[in-house]
Amino acid sequence: MTAPVDPVDPARGAGGRLELERVSASYGPYRALFEVSFSVPAGTALAVVGANGAGKSTVARVVSGLVPSTSGTVRFDGIDITRRPAFEIARMGLNHLTEGRSVFASLTVEENLALPFRRALGRQGVAGALEQAYEAFPKLGDRRTQSAGTLSGGEQRMLALARVLVLHQKLLVVDELSFGLAPVIVDEVYQALSRVLSGGTSLLLIEQHVHRALELADAVVVLSKGTVVYDGPVEGVEHQLSELVLGPEAP
Amino acid sequence: MTQFFNYAVPGIPFGCVFALMAVGLVLTYKASGVFNLAFGAQAFVSALAFVSLVQDGWPRWAAGFVSVFVLGPVVGILLDRLLFRRIRTASPLVKLVPSLGLLVALPQLALIIAGSTPDIPPPALFVNAQRVYAHLGSVPLSGLELSIFGCTLVVVGVLVALFRFTPVGLEMRAVVESPRLTELAGVNAGRISAFAWILSSVMAGLAGVLLSPLYSQLDPQNFTVLLVWGIAGAVIGRFASLPLALVGGLALGVGQQVLAGYLPAGIISTGLRPSLPFIVLLVFLPFSRQRQFDDPLSSCDPPSTALEGETRGYQSASTLAVTSGDGVHAVGLWHRSLHPGRPESPWRRLARRPTTNLAWAVGALAVLSALTWVPGDWLLTMTQGIAFGVVFLSLTLLTGMSGQISLCQATFAGLGGFVAGQLADHYGLPVVLGMVAGGLLAAVLGVIVAVPTLRLAGLPLALATLAFALLADNVLFPNSWIGNGAGGVTVPRPSLGPISFVASRSFFVLSLLVLAVTAGVVKLVGDGTMGRLLAAMRGSEVAATSVGIDVTRLRILVFALSAGLAGVGGALFGSLEGSLSPNDFNYQISAVLLVVVAIVGLGSVTGAVVAGLVYETLQKAVTTLPSRYAGLVAVIFGLATLSYTRHPEGFVDFLGSRLLALIARNRIASRLLGRGERGEGPVEPPSGVGRRDDEGLTPVGAPGGGS
Amino acid sequence: MADPVRSDPLLVATGISKQFGGVQALFELSFDVGRGEAVGIVGPNGAGKTTLFDCLLGLEALDTGTVVFDGVRIDRLPVWKRSRMGIGRTYQRLELFRGMTVADHLLVAEQAKAGTFRLWRDLLHRGGPTAAELRHVEEVLELVGLADLADRPVDGLGLGHARLVELGRAMMGAPRLLMLDEPSSGLDVAETERLASILRDIRAAQGTSVVLVEHDLRLVESVVDRLCVLNFGRMLASGPVAEVLASPEVRLAYLGTSR
Repeated sequence: MTAPVDPVDPARGAGGRLELERVSASYGPYRALFEVSFSVPAGTALAVVGANGAGKSTVARVVSGLVPSTSGTVRFDGIDITRRPAFEIARMGLNHLTEGRSVFASLTVEENLALPFRRALGRQGVAGALEQAYEAFPKLGDRRTQSAGTLSGGEQRMLALARVLVLHQKLLVVDELSFGLAPVIVDEVYQALSRVLSGGTSLLLIEQHVHRALELADAVVVLSKGTVVYDGPVEGVEHQLSELVLGPEAP
Repeated sequence: MTQFFNYAVPGIPFGCVFALMAVGLVLTYKASGVFNLAFGAQAFVSALAFVSLVQDGWPRWAAGFVSVFVLGPVVGILLDRLLFRRIRTASPLVKLVPSLGLLVALPQLALIIAGSTPDIPPPALFVNAQRVYAHLGSVPLSGLELSIFGCTLVVVGVLVALFRFTPVGLEMRAVVESPRLTELAGVNAGRISAFAWILSSVMAGLAGVLLSPLYSQLDPQNFTVLLVWGIAGAVIGRFASLPLALVGGLALGVGQQVLAGYLPAGIISTGLRPSLPFIVLLVFLPFSRQRQFDDPLSSCDPPSTALEGETRGYQSASTLAVTSGDGVHAVGLWHRSLHPGRPESPWRRLARRPTTNLAWAVGALAVLSALTWVPGDWLLTMTQGIAFGVVFLSLTLLTGMSGQISLCQATFAGLGGFVAGQLADHYGLPVVLGMVAGGLLAAVLGVIVAVPTLRLAGLPLALATLAFALLADNVLFPNSWIGNGAGGVTVPRPSLGPISFVASRSFFVLSLLVLAVTAGVVKLVGDGTMGRLLAAMRGSEVAATSVGIDVTRLRILVFALSAGLAGVGGALFGSLEGSLSPNDFNYQISAVLLVVVAIVGLGSVTGAVVAGLVYETLQKAVTTLPSRYAGLVAVIFGLATLSYTRHPEGFVDFLGSRLLALIARNRIASRLLGRGERGEGPVEPPSGVGRRDDEGLTPVGAPGGGS
Repeated sequence: MADPVRSDPLLVATGISKQFGGVQALFELSFDVGRGEAVGIVGPNGAGKTTLFDCLLGLEALDTGTVVFDGVRIDRLPVWKRSRMGIGRTYQRLELFRGMTVADHLLVAEQAKAGTFRLWRDLLHRGGPTAAELRHVEEVLELVGLADLADRPVDGLGLGHARLVELGRAMMGAPRLLMLDEPSSGLDVAETERLASILRDIRAAQGTSVVLVEHDLRLVESVVDRLCVLNFGRMLASGPVAEVLASPEVRLAYLGTSR
């Protein structure tokens, strides 16, 4: 158990507050979210858990602008970002690590890093930022000319995290970070994630490995069939979590 | 050596133009994931605008600027916005059909808008084309050649600078893999993609304007040939490398001139030069298989309803509107039960395929009319439609059922017709036997095409078959013993014992018989075990082979069967017309065949038959219009590809699903047809198949989401 | 160890290697599966688990080594022949036949494995599924619990059901060896438990040998007799589950020392 971070630590600096207000979303005729509301205070970590198909990934996608919401409002540091295109939201410092492969398999490791660096830091800043990234993840430095598709799943997550670590994002949305990873690698990426959090970045954690997520999170939202069934502190919910996630009839 | 030099230097201008095409093709392919075959048409449009403007008295530089830098990009951006952007993640067929359709349609549309072909010879862009400005060794360099060379250098220089000194190159490659992932990195993917289209469209326009003076007059055909050379260059560049594509285009231009110089005159030389692209394609395509990475975020798109070729044959799926209290809310697939003995009311059986029933009714009426009162020229049109229906059925089998894209179906049809004609005309064989022999030989040709292309699928397979069609057009069909070049082959009308099919109404009956047999074959194959194996192969070749399907054998078999059917259709058509020339079934016809049947419906026998009739009827109808509108049919089908991307199941199935929805919405009809009691329930969320997506999706308005 | 199950193994792979570009995916790996035995394979990502499956089934050609199945050398045989000899497989990344129904998936596998397809039968309308084939399909549908969804097209299925369709398809033609590639990935806890019980049922009913590649150790423990650990294309350890998981080498490579 990590000690919960004080949500109102002023030293944690500038922004990263996320609010969802009665957000609904659908894929074509299929509705995935029904009036979902919750918020992530600046500098804290919120875990979103739920069974398969509860709408967790859709929450992440709506926040980062990949999937348009059909109603409701998403605010980031008080600014309404509901209708903004994904690239504008990304430029505001809200980064989304998508589930599964979240790097460009056809680009090399270095190109994967240079792509966001160049946008954010200009041509001169890229070299320094690359150095920083390789320092944080030496394994990536060894493979800088290798295409990211040849990296293992764990290394791909590291690569995605390296982009975020260097660029100091305000809010990081992480979707199923541990999916398909060997336990030892899950440990490693969660260590990296706690570094991100202690660097002042807010976290929105989407996880199926509930216990891993709750070690890091300050608060938890439980989704079931596209609606919020629990929103509150981690403490006191752990014992009844499986019931909330799986529904009362599950073993 | 000097001789080689003398042959090679005149090839450089050709090489430059080929290289521009190749580089442009690779550029859009990388930026949009679509292999833009309409590129040849874009080149023609710019060239036509240039020549027309010069004819209207514009200065050449101004005409050149407007047609290359204004019109070119406008056409490119329109294509991107209206079409290609929406089909980035579609299946290879859905990507291919619109670009093929536009390749044929755009030049005709431009000609209709322009009113007439300009009657001046196409001028050169900057300089006096004919004047010799310099010598390279003993080879004179004309102004035309120098201007082509100069323009290519400038374009290459700009590209190199762009990719080296700006992040655009990197961002383009990122957008190709996943526009959404690129957006998450803070890059405006839409702008990058639009930029690539502008760039490549300028190159297409430039290639067109530069090339046109090499020909005495403007002809869309020349630009399709240009496109094929460009494709060969792009394949040398493995669809990915701009420098390799550039070198490839140059090498092809030089190579074809050198070949022409060294080879003795005659069929080898005139035939081999145009088939150089085919040889290049066949040699290089197997190496162009690069790993394609799926967009990991493709599941953000709303799930599609019935997609082309993704519903098994025609026996299985029709789109059904699922009703609940408040009306139609979701559309899903409904499949025939394979469990025997489950009772089904005859009403429902009829209602399941309303389009088929409608087609039967209309068909019966049409046959009755044809045999009684329809005038001769429209009877001819109907018979032509039936003959083409047979050819279309071969595509239903090959592309619709097994998912293999063929752009040499007209070649099979042509071979069938020529064999039937030659055997009847020169060896006195009965024409009916000749038709059978034509079908058999076409089947053999199908095997010959299938074997070297076994490892190819999707776009590479389409290009390889296109190249094969080109080879046949240039090397096989001009020979007197087969297609007899422009002269063509006489194919008599058949007679069977005492029954003669010379008269048009009796030939119509014969055509109907052939169609019925062909349709029966296709239907039996689709309903039977083979149809199921083909559907599996189409769904996933890897999984098909790992459940024990001998995919190699199956693929050769389906190619042979399909080629055979096409051959019979071609022979029927030739016999109807009385003679057949290679131009009746050239490689462009292959492209048109695929486009037409895809739009009308690849999923059913009905679709193929309707396609044949609609195609020939439109052709006939256009002849009543002024000559300016001769290309209108191509334009109609070309523009119909815009709606095709939204309804890849084809016109016939689309109509069917609409009818079903109407029936379901109408309370009386749905009660009458027993629709309401069927416990289909809400459609479960689409996911999982072909991608990982664990979002639970609840159909709108479905209480609780369970069934 | 004189284990009767493993003295006459069903599948023996000896010294197999596979290289992709510069990456050595499998290195001199030897691996065997006894008759009726269930073997779990775990290992970090990129350890070569899926490549091992591809090589055993023939989707990838071997660089070196031999594979013997039921006493017959199969490493030069095409995939479909190996499949018909009795090897069924599922895929981590689903490979379903889009647009086909659940029952059709099973039926096509049954018909393909029998190898009875003849064109002339189709043309005489004699090619339809036989009663025996349909009965097999029904049986397997019952076994994997998909009977209610038999007539659904797979495109509309959730991931949990889609994985079961792959399992059912691999079960057709009564394979003697089932190779399952991360069957529980993307499934939630309840679905995974259902999968485990189905796998146990299959083994009990048909005595099928199983190779299970899986990250979910709870699922592995509840299904397999023996566990292998793969790392960097080599076999790190093999033996009873508890024993293997206790080995310090394995803990370091796979579980990490934090547990």
